[in-house]
Amino acid sequence: MNESASSLPMAPLDECVQPQEIALEFRGSAREYFRIWIVNLCLTLATLGVFSAWAKVRKTRYFYSSITIDKTPFQYLAEPLPILKGRILAALLFAVYWFSSSFYLPALPWVLGAGVIIAPWVISRSMAFKARYSAFRNMTFDFRGNYLGAAQAIYWLGLVPVLVIGTMFEWWGSWEAAAIAFTAFTLTFPWWLSRLKSYMVSYASFGGERGRYSATGGQFFRVYFVAGLIVVGGGVLSAVTAFWVVPPSMRSDWFLILMSLPVYAGYVLAFAYVQANISNLVWNHTRLGPLRFRSTLSGRGMAKLYFTNALGIVASLGLLTPWAVMRTLKYRADNMRVLVEGELTALTGAKRSAVQAAGAEMGEFFDLDLSL
Amino acid sequence: MNGAWFALRGYYYDGRQPLRRSATLEIAAGEATLLWEEQSRRYRAANLLVSPRVGRADRFIALPDGGQFQCGNHASLDRLPQHSVTEGAVAWLEQRVAVAVASVVLIVALLAGGYRYGLPAAAQQVAAKIPLETEQTLGEQALVWLDDSDWFQPSGLGQDTQDRIRWKLEELYAELPYAQHYRLEFRQAEYIGANAFALPGGTLVITDAMVKLAESDEEVLAILAHEIGHVELRHVMRHVLQDSAVAVAAATISGDAATLSVAVAGLPSVLAQAEYSRDFESEADDFAFRLLRKHGMSPEAFASVMERIEGDCECDPGALDFLSTHPITGERIERARAAAQGLGTTESESK
Repeated sequence: MNESASSLPMAPLDECVQPQEIALEFRGSAREYFRIWIVNLCLTLATLGVFSAWAKVRKTRYFYSSITIDKTPFQYLAEPLPILKGRILAALLFAVYWFSSSFYLPALPWVLGAGVIIAPWVISRSMAFKARYSAFRNMTFDFRGNYLGAAQAIYWLGLVPVLVIGTMFEWWGSWEAAAIAFTAFTLTFPWWLSRLKSYMVSYASFGGERGRYSATGGQFFRVYFVAGLIVVGGGVLSAVTAFWVVPPSMRSDWFLILMSLPVYAGYVLAFAYVQANISNLVWNHTRLGPLRFRSTLSGRGMAKLYFTNALGIVASLGLLTPWAVMRTLKYRADNMRVLVEGELTALTGAKRSAVQAAGAEMGEFFDLDLSL
Repeated sequence: MNGAWFALRGYYYDGRQPLRRSATLEIAAGEATLLWEEQSRRYRAANLLVSPRVGRADRFIALPDGGQFQCGNHASLDRLPQHSVTEGAVAWLEQRVAVAVASVVLIVALLAGGYRYGLPAAAQQVAAKIPLETEQTLGEQALVWLDDSDWFQPSGLGQDTQDRIRWKLEELYAELPYAQHYRLEFRQAEYIGANAFALPGGTLVITDAMVKLAESDEEVLAILAHEIGHVELRHVMRHVLQDSAVAVAAATISGDAATLSVAVAGLPSVLAQAEYSRDFESEADDFAFRLLRKHGMSPEAFASVMERIEGDCECDPGALDFLSTHPITGERIERARAAAQGLGTTESESK
């Protein structure tokens, strides 16, 4: 305990060439999380969902406090009651949507239209809620993105992918139209996603420094292109085995089901590849004052994780869910490094943010958490 | 707290810079003294607030001046003022293995009981309070859509046949609570074959093939009595309510797994829906048997027409039987025969 002031060693001013690399340490245990998970699930079911706000807070607190950087855990500061209010509001909105989609279809376009209008608000507010109730070393994060920014990020480039999916029934069945729709989608979706990530990063801040984002849509496109090749590869593999390698006499129903496995495996692999590489892409192109990040997730590692998790969860009738959650978090934490270039003192928390953190329970009405 | 003396070792964060400083917090006689790097600060111990405990992770003491003290000595931390009382109670439960085991048992009991008894009963109560008119728009839209599509063509049956069946059916439902909502539609439907169904809101549709397959009006009425049962028992509304509740419950339970992108989350609710549908079919059968007997007709007509439908259908139940939404036809025929002989569930209203 005699170590001096700061634990994150700082590079001297004259030679800030070599950045300081700090690993994340994951301290969560499946055993411990199992108890938290099961008790909160039980109380949520017994109270018909009312307790879910407490459950969310308890679980998120555990996730945050399990991840430490240089001996300091992250802190989740949200209080259950504001989350409960947010959930009640969200549940009411969902009930309107549910009712119109089940019984009164003429109203559905209006409901969806209202959804389109409030979506940017929901995104910017939930980002702000998440940021303001997350803290590290007694300094809260912040998010200053507004409605207009979110609307631009979602709807400017997003219009094309949304239109393509929205008009699915029109082009379904016609090859030419489907090809045009598909091309339009591929040539806009990666750029749209990059724009959305840019909005999320650029308006987030910590210690008075805003995030700076430098990934491009082209890089997103490359990730999705490889993922597409993986899916096609899985399909070709099963088609070749099913129709050329195996004689027709052996093509029973069960065999055909078996043959669809490579397709499914290809899909899972592609999904894992996208998850890992998009995550890497965003983190590795984000800068926050003197901080940079290095994310080294791999598609193979993620796919292995998904596969074993699914196996464990199904085989244990869900009881291994906490184990799956913990090892996934651990894998993500183990593959993340924080690079400090320069001095941490460049980050300064306003006195205000500390006060806000203490009074987080008074969360304003508009900071409601809308995640259902 | 007065009189107690203890010292906590941990880290101090001033809230202005993300720096971790080794520090000690001494509590004595209601006073707290923070010591770090040859500096010190005093607070009243009653003004400290300790963050909720979660697992074994270090907790944070919020200091009145905006600073924070991190510490893992839970036994001592528990002696200071706590930030959240409710979470403290939950944290207490979370630490006990016995509570975890009891939770597993309780969850299984809650899910099984809720699924088997609680949810159907609640859905029945709620559905009874929602007017049938709510479903009417949906039913009308469905009929318009089916008429516009390839599925339905106008009926080829003679007007006298249609009128006769309508007139006899009217007699059957005249005294039922939703009597004024019923409307019978005849349609030719090649792809559907011999079938009848109740649309939301009380419109009954019967296919020409079904009328032709029946050897008597009684058989047609037996089939339609089953569809009336669906309407009277509010099966559409109950179905929607129960399925939604199951979906919400499934989402709650598998919420954590879903964040891991595990593609197993939807499975339980699919199985659950099939199970509920089969219950509804049996319920509508029982309702039909009672209605028929009340009007001096025998459920035997239902059995005989079902037998003919089954003979007509080339479908092979096979391995996916447990996913089928209708109870196995043989079972239903047997129950109809039993009801015809005055046995079975017809007399005692079990549902």
